[in-house]
Amino acid sequence: MSSFTLGAAEVVDTFAEAFPMRYARVVITGATGAWALEAARSMTGFATSVIGCKCEAAIERAVAEGETADGRPGIAVLLFAMDREGVGKRIVERVGQSVMTCPTTACFDGLPGAERTAPLGGTLRYFGDGFQASKVIAGQRFWRIPVMEGEFLVSESVGIGHGVGGGNVVIGAADEDAALAAAEAAADAMRGEGIALPFPGGIVRSGSKVGSLTSKSMPASTNHQMAPTLRAQIADTLVPDGVAALFEIVIDGVSEDAVREAMRRGLHAAAGAGATHVTAANFGGKLGEFHFPLTDLRDPP
Amino acid sequence: MTLTLTLRTDPPAQVLSDPLIPERLRALNGSAVAAVPLRCGGETVAVGDLFEVSGAGSEQEALVLRGDLRRFDWIGAGMSSGTIDVHGDVGAWAGAEMAGGVLRIFGDAGARLGSAYPGTRVGMTGGEIVVTGDAGEEAGAGMRRGLVAVGGRTAAGAGLRMLAGTVISLGGIGDGAGLGNKRGTLASGRALEPLPSYAYATRLEPPALRLQLIRVRELGLTVDDALLRGAWARWSGDRTELSRGEILIFDGEEEGQ
Repeated sequence: MSSFTLGAAEVVDTFAEAFPMRYARVVITGATGAWALEAARSMTGFATSVIGCKCEAAIERAVAEGETADGRPGIAVLLFAMDREGVGKRIVERVGQSVMTCPTTACFDGLPGAERTAPLGGTLRYFGDGFQASKVIAGQRFWRIPVMEGEFLVSESVGIGHGVGGGNVVIGAADEDAALAAAEAAADAMRGEGIALPFPGGIVRSGSKVGSLTSKSMPASTNHQMAPTLRAQIADTLVPDGVAALFEIVIDGVSEDAVREAMRRGLHAAAGAGATHVTAANFGGKLGEFHFPLTDLRDPP
Repeated sequence: MTLTLTLRTDPPAQVLSDPLIPERLRALNGSAVAAVPLRCGGETVAVGDLFEVSGAGSEQEALVLRGDLRRFDWIGAGMSSGTIDVHGDVGAWAGAEMAGGVLRIFGDAGARLGSAYPGTRVGMTGGEIVVTGDAGEEAGAGMRRGLVAVGGRTAAGAGLRMLAGTVISLGGIGDGAGLGNKRGTLASGRALEPLPSYAYATRLEPPALRLQLIRVRELGLTVDDALLRGAWARWSGDRTELSRGEILIFDGEEEGQ
């Protein structure tokens, strides 16, 4: 496969393949930024892949006091699923279990004015067992759910947007430490408005392929072509000479542009931080609606 | 485009101002606005007899009224969209039975601000009213939904028989507030003695009230940061009704004890 160089990195001339997804954004506020972060971390836990977790979610960014609905420090969270129903179910589960339970928090819709919505407080309110109350403030309805601390305030519904899931870059180097350092630099550069990196620290070491060589029931299995330990025992390895470890960064974004620009930032950051090999995962181009060729990302951000 | 009516002549009697709502004026040019009839005592007068008209009605539904309008009752009554900014004091029944839109009064309001007409059970069903000065008796009476926010004091009987919605009075709520209140919220920035049919529940930093205070600040009221950050006492009532309403009384002085 042809390639080009970027700094010290050889970049494979391939593309990342991504899919349409639906997403919601919530802004969690707390008495302190630390409590908002606790809730956001809990809410985005076990949300790495739709295959195993039914949704993908990550912290998008910290939101300053002056920008949140209630003037308290906040954290914006993005949650992705394959359809609106999926987003709706997962957001209710996760806000109910991880945000409502967390001291001092309130939870607001981060996509006001969206055409499509899914109920959030409109469902969670039943936890109030008849004691819940609502307020319409500046045209938006909120639910006040009495809890042991006082009241949990939550938006009636969340907007549902059209997003893109599954953008990715795969970063390799001569040893694990170097590859991880490059991947960390890439993940740091990629985070930002409109971007969710759902894996731990934004980085996945167990990249997968669709299906399995040995089982018909497995929806996904290890990306054996990118496993360095197997490079001498399989004929179609994608691990080049001199690469001992590979890490993938999976990107979900609120638009094709957001994903592309995040990939661009990540590619250049990785190349500047010790990566010697950068590639991307795809399924031959037949499954995903969105293709992101790495050659399109040569220009720095 | 903003339509501005500036008072030229004091009317000889109280004027019923409910024709002067943005949705009714949106398609009218300046001269058509000047010809709109108003009831004044037993007579009918034209808008142009009392006001200087500048601008015209428009899709933006923005109306500005200027002058001492204490002889003008029912300003903004029944409006469901658009904005009215009044620079001056207004008479009684401002925003009565309002359903939507924003009514801002940079001055004082008379009795029955945002309330139900006599004989009707339901008052405001939506919209927002902001008064920078004081408001008269029975503000928010019969309210079902919406917001009445007063920078100064409200006189006695605020929130009479309110069904839901919110009345905020930063300068304090007068006596007898919330009589017959079912689910409504009354918030007083100053101490008050609730009716005996209200029971003290707790002190808290009410998250919904914080949003409402931020909103009324956006709408032009001066809201002290202490009100946003401080604690409020919650009294539940009216126990002669559902006891699901509340009076919130700013209690920030005790913060940190």
